[in-house]
Amino acid sequence: MSDIDKLWLHQHLPGIQASQQADDLASYGSDWSRLREPAPAAVLFPQHQEQVAQIIDCANREGLALVPSGGRTGLSGGAIAADGELVLSLERMRQLDPVNHADASVRVEAGVVTASIQQQAERAGLFYGVDFAAAGSSQIGGNIATNAGGIRVLRYGLTRDQVLGLEAVSGKGELLQLNHGLIKNATGYDLRHLLIGSEGTLAVITAATLKLWPDPGERQVLLLAVDGHQALLPLFMAARQALRLSAFEFFTHDCVRHVCAHAGLPPPLEQAAGMYVLLECDAVSDEQVAALFEQLVEQQLVSDGVISQSRQHAQQLWQYRERISESIAAQRPYKNDIAVRIAAVPELLQQLDELIQRHYPAFEVLWYGHIGDGNIHMNVLKPDDLSPAAFKQQCELVNEQVFDCIQRLAGSISAEHGVGLLKQPWLQYSRTPVEIDIMRRIKSVLDPGGILNPGKLL
Amino acid sequence: MKILVLVKRVIDYNVRVRVKSDASGVETDGVKMSINPFDEIALEEALRLREAGHAEEVLVVSMGSEACQQQLRTALAMGADRAIHLATDDALQPLSAARVIKALIEREQPGIVLLGKQAIDNDNNQTGQMLAALWQRPQATNAAKVELADGSVRVTREVDDGLEVLELQLPAVITTDLRLNTPRFVKLPDIMKAKKKPLDVLAITELQADIDADAEQALQISDWQAPPKRGGGIKVDSVDALVAELKSRGLV
Repeated sequence: MSDIDKLWLHQHLPGIQASQQADDLASYGSDWSRLREPAPAAVLFPQHQEQVAQIIDCANREGLALVPSGGRTGLSGGAIAADGELVLSLERMRQLDPVNHADASVRVEAGVVTASIQQQAERAGLFYGVDFAAAGSSQIGGNIATNAGGIRVLRYGLTRDQVLGLEAVSGKGELLQLNHGLIKNATGYDLRHLLIGSEGTLAVITAATLKLWPDPGERQVLLLAVDGHQALLPLFMAARQALRLSAFEFFTHDCVRHVCAHAGLPPPLEQAAGMYVLLECDAVSDEQVAALFEQLVEQQLVSDGVISQSRQHAQQLWQYRERISESIAAQRPYKNDIAVRIAAVPELLQQLDELIQRHYPAFEVLWYGHIGDGNIHMNVLKPDDLSPAAFKQQCELVNEQVFDCIQRLAGSISAEHGVGLLKQPWLQYSRTPVEIDIMRRIKSVLDPGGILNPGKLL
Repeated sequence: MKILVLVKRVIDYNVRVRVKSDASGVETDGVKMSINPFDEIALEEALRLREAGHAEEVLVVSMGSEACQQQLRTALAMGADRAIHLATDDALQPLSAARVIKALIEREQPGIVLLGKQAIDNDNNQTGQMLAALWQRPQATNAAKVELADGSVRVTREVDDGLEVLELQLPAVITTDLRLNTPRFVKLPDIMKAKKKPLDVLAITELQADIDADAEQALQISDWQAPPKRGGGIKVDSVDALVAELKSRGLV
């Protein structure tokens, strides 16, 4: 494929913007996982669905591999192009239509940045349900392709739950218009949901119609001191009963220590706790929140806590959760993003804690995640004196036992980060051989040439 | 010593403020209201002075409709000892507000009056100064550091060419700047405690403040308008086109 040059691109893909500049190749060939050295042959920037189809036809004709590409904020290497592929960037397709008030929906092209959907919704007095730390950089096409989750899943669901219509081009070059923004549509296989979470292996998503929610109104944030993980589940159940929750996150004191050092923030509470829960709910009366707090203290679930009284305080409290990932990024943490049913969370934490004590005694392990979704982020920090390669190798040795434990609990080895390259070797811990075989057969129907994101997921 | 802190109820700093459709003011219905951030800093400073043993009591005062009791409750939950709601349905000008506070000072005899350098709604930056003048006591505005000694207070201000340090005899008025401190979060155990703290309501007419009707009429707002929408940018194809465009607009 080294014969792909300017002339080749001009002849085979006339009218399509492309770049082969070294910095573009390096940047568009990689994502936040930085799993492999980027080495794509070229980066393509189609401007409408027909150009996407044109690129797919060309790839099928010439037997070339395509890597669909959005904001490249993924953590599993799903957008990495390291083997001379053509990167198909959707970023020039970023039409953001006006909000459709009657339908409470908005049509967006794949390259629209996630956070700008929220801004568009807010201008119309509505709300987009998905939010996460990378929302200012990620693009909706990638969100859909990975079924992105984030911090408000427990109230609004996953990206999948927001998609009312999907426009895409299959790996065979067929133009697809799926579900047309309908709420009810009982006419057979819902192909839209097949493409959501398919990580660019079946089709290239070009646009979507997204559901918008009523403006949630004022919300408050509580940060609670919790003694240990055995308190998390009863605390969640009590909070769910008493409040209208939109987020329920936990993190350990080590996470707070890193955030404070990195961001120069004061400690959130006077006395450090072993663990913290940050919850967000619809605004509550002082009486309601005081009664709940008294009950939680009585049950010895919570020892201390603070509550936001202004949006500024709410934002400041969120920082202790949202900035964890960036505060440890320099230490190149080994990330595991796992999920079990909510009821199994305490057991999972217990078992993993024991595993870590046994196998990583010298490593610093940070725990945080979305208890309300049964989703735990486990970050192992690299000790300074260990080479990156040796560190990765040691982490992978323990993976097998971590994933064994998840398999026993019928959980997921990738809750919201996707499979990509990182989890591909471990897929069988969450999916049966029969399921994986069916997935392969589905892929062969939609992408018979195997041109879309080869080597990822399956 | 008693510290009197003034807190104003304003539209939350993070709310996108909208002008009412009839241009008679800004929309406040269903909009999140909070303590003016500079006043919150003043309250935090007062609490720290009390915690350091320099004061025995922190009294918070807010002027306005009944709704501002919500901000007083928040101030009590943050740690203030007592609150007074100066009830009025009029939005008073800074001079009148200062006269009302002056009348309250006669009753309460505080050692320090702490307030934000300005409120983020009208950005007047006047009440503190006017109050000091009416009270005939020293003032330090835009405080970036406050240190208390016996009978006097040292206040550091960030000015254009460095730091200015003032030493004031007490009682005095201090207005607070943004970087003086970071206000604390409200602790959950303190929410119930705040309910039990005294919050007295006093109609401003009861204070017999010398509100000058002429002064209230001196400045009237005739119209409210949203800032003009920003025009879109343009794209140019080359450096030459950029230079030509800048020249045509007289920018280079």
